[in-house]
Amino acid sequence: MASFISARVIAPSLARSLKQILFSCELARIHNHARIIPCVTPKYLHKRWYATEKKVYQRVKPHCNVGTIGHVDHGKTTLTAAITKVLSDQKLAQAKKYSDIDNAPEEKARGITINVAHIEYQTETRHYGHTDCPGHADYIKNMITGTAQMDGAILVVAATDGVMPQTREHLLLAKQIGINYIVVFINKADAADKEMVELVEMEIRELMTEMGFDGDNVPVVTGSALCALEGKNPEIGAEAILKLLAEVDKYIPTPTRELDKPFLLPIEHVYSIPGRGTVVTGRLERGVLKKGAECEFVGYSKTLKSTITGIEMFHQILEQAEAGDQLGALVRGVKRDDLRRGMVMCKPGSVKSNDHVEAQVYILSKEEGGRAKPFTSFIQLQMFCRTWDCSCQVIVPDKEMVMPGEDSKLVLKMIRPMVLEQGQRFTLRDGLLTLGTGVVTNVLPHLSEHERLEITEGKKAREKRLASETGGK
Amino acid sequence: MMYAKTIARYLHIKPSCWASEKSQLAVLRKKTGYTFSNCKKALEMHNNDLIQAEGWLHKQAQALGWSKATKLEGRQTTQGLVAVAVDKNKGALVEVNCETDFVAKNKTFQDMAETATQACLHFTERQPHIRGPITKIGLDAEQLRQLPTKDGKSLADHLALMIGSLGENATLRRAVCFKTDSNIHLSAYAHPCGTEHNKILLGRFAGLIALKQKEQKDIDIKALGRNLCQHVVGMDPKKIGTSSDEPAKNPDDETCLIHQEYLIDNTSIVNDVLEEYGVEVIDFKRFECGENLTVGIQPLSHIETCQ
Repeated sequence: MASFISARVIAPSLARSLKQILFSCELARIHNHARIIPCVTPKYLHKRWYATEKKVYQRVKPHCNVGTIGHVDHGKTTLTAAITKVLSDQKLAQAKKYSDIDNAPEEKARGITINVAHIEYQTETRHYGHTDCPGHADYIKNMITGTAQMDGAILVVAATDGVMPQTREHLLLAKQIGINYIVVFINKADAADKEMVELVEMEIRELMTEMGFDGDNVPVVTGSALCALEGKNPEIGAEAILKLLAEVDKYIPTPTRELDKPFLLPIEHVYSIPGRGTVVTGRLERGVLKKGAECEFVGYSKTLKSTITGIEMFHQILEQAEAGDQLGALVRGVKRDDLRRGMVMCKPGSVKSNDHVEAQVYILSKEEGGRAKPFTSFIQLQMFCRTWDCSCQVIVPDKEMVMPGEDSKLVLKMIRPMVLEQGQRFTLRDGLLTLGTGVVTNVLPHLSEHERLEITEGKKAREKRLASETGGK
Repeated sequence: MMYAKTIARYLHIKPSCWASEKSQLAVLRKKTGYTFSNCKKALEMHNNDLIQAEGWLHKQAQALGWSKATKLEGRQTTQGLVAVAVDKNKGALVEVNCETDFVAKNKTFQDMAETATQACLHFTERQPHIRGPITKIGLDAEQLRQLPTKDGKSLADHLALMIGSLGENATLRRAVCFKTDSNIHLSAYAHPCGTEHNKILLGRFAGLIALKQKEQKDIDIKALGRNLCQHVVGMDPKKIGTSSDEPAKNPDDETCLIHQEYLIDNTSIVNDVLEEYGVEVIDFKRFECGENLTVGIQPLSHIETCQ
């Protein structure tokens, strides 16, 4: 995410000139970004490239991703339009009309089709990316591909209808994609009276408690998105929207920035430099790397400890490197042959190797470049992640097969432990085909030696074993 | 805070009336589940008489459902469920659509799919089975809406009630019913096979397959039928194919059922499996939720299509 912000902030001038040449049709949109951003970043930041990168973070508001969920007729899109309208009056966003909030064409170009609308705006304290999808599958795909991992959500309920039967499914989805912070907006207050609103509020708190959220303390804001959009009844219109945003600012915590996490560098290459020692290169994924820091190499069932004695970038010596930097690090007392591509260099003890994980995976349809046939449990696939790849066996836990174009929960058993943690994204491939992409949702206990051997056994052997096991019982 | 305000009101302004009205609205909503605006309207019309209001709401539900259904008519329905059920020598495959997949996961919607499937099975029973191993009946949206259900209402009435409660447009899209001779075995499969209720399978993909044993062998035809049906659902064959059909050059593009790689065991093709068990595939049908198709059945000589 750090790189995302930095790109957003320092790129406009560069991107502008580059994209002007490449995509002259997209010019209008780039202008829009440029118009909003100068109010937070002084003009001189645009002029320089690397030297300003470190300072930028202190000046820009922290970023947070939110989204709206709710029934189709309860006014999700109207609320989104109202938020941009109210904030544009304060010069914090660009007002979008109801009809402008539509599926972004660039999403389709990414390969996986996600019906999603992305809008940006900012409040006094934070910068927001706002996601709105029509269906369950779209939110899941959004989570898997990580276009915008939602840190919190706004649940929209109309006061006239109250909680719908499918609101339960909306909250289930929120649980499934890992959203713990929900702010409730009771919409259409102009068409309802006070007691109805109060009853709706009671109902929604009850349901949220039942679904495992903190129902009693969930912030609930009442208002009318339509009034805000039309500039009528400010007390339930614009003011309600501002109150909602204040609650969002307060209730949904800012996600930890990549820069603040313990450092981690996936190794791309290992060199041996005569007279100096071993150098590893790669892009620092997160954290800050300082000269003289203790480090640990993890991967391929090995763990080695060492110290960083020097950092270089673009043939220049660096005292400290930050997430996003492509660098080379000189390490003490490690032989070149001990290290290889695919291992990671990290803060000692901050990551672990795993060989057994549960993941949420989207399987590409044939049109998206995936395979045409469904697959069943025990298929052997190649898993690609960071700079490593590893063969793994796939178990489909809650279905009999997985169809192309479908998302599914999968259990992956890898033939050797590699650095893998919750939230890590990866790709599954089979020969020349990319089968799907996924995100690790849960780390399971390590495989035993016996289980590891079972991964590689053939179908016949497995059937024989399963038959004897059931026969034995 | 909220309650304090309420209590303050309770003490000062028309105490008895306010309190009873408030609790009655809550009670009525909790009991009936109709929208707040309708519950309020009902109470207003009947001078806060709970029993009368409830009776009125139930009576109005059908009309309200219809008005909601008319209002939402024309909105695209691309999500939904395919339901499949087999009862001895009858089988039914029904597709019901809605607007979002959230609704498709909802119990109310699943109940609707079940009701529709049962109505189709019941309808199949009353149809004459003329000759040949199998009778196939295709139903389009309009015919489905007219089908009667157990409680005497038409499926369209049930659909309107459901639209009234879910607030989303929904359509009964299509159905295919099988009626077979007694020596034919029918199997059903739905994917993802999460929900099974009253012997009705629900999923986004579903299939029906009719098998005939050519020779008297002691085999588990139930398990075989299920596996073959899973194959049909997974591999989407276009036709059964005969031995005169050339297998495709690329096995991945194969659309003839008998030449396809068997999904359960990709070392053999379907034809080998059929030979091994001495079984013949008479017919199959596969529905995918939201696929672009009008109800149409391959015109095969041995099929009698009613209506």
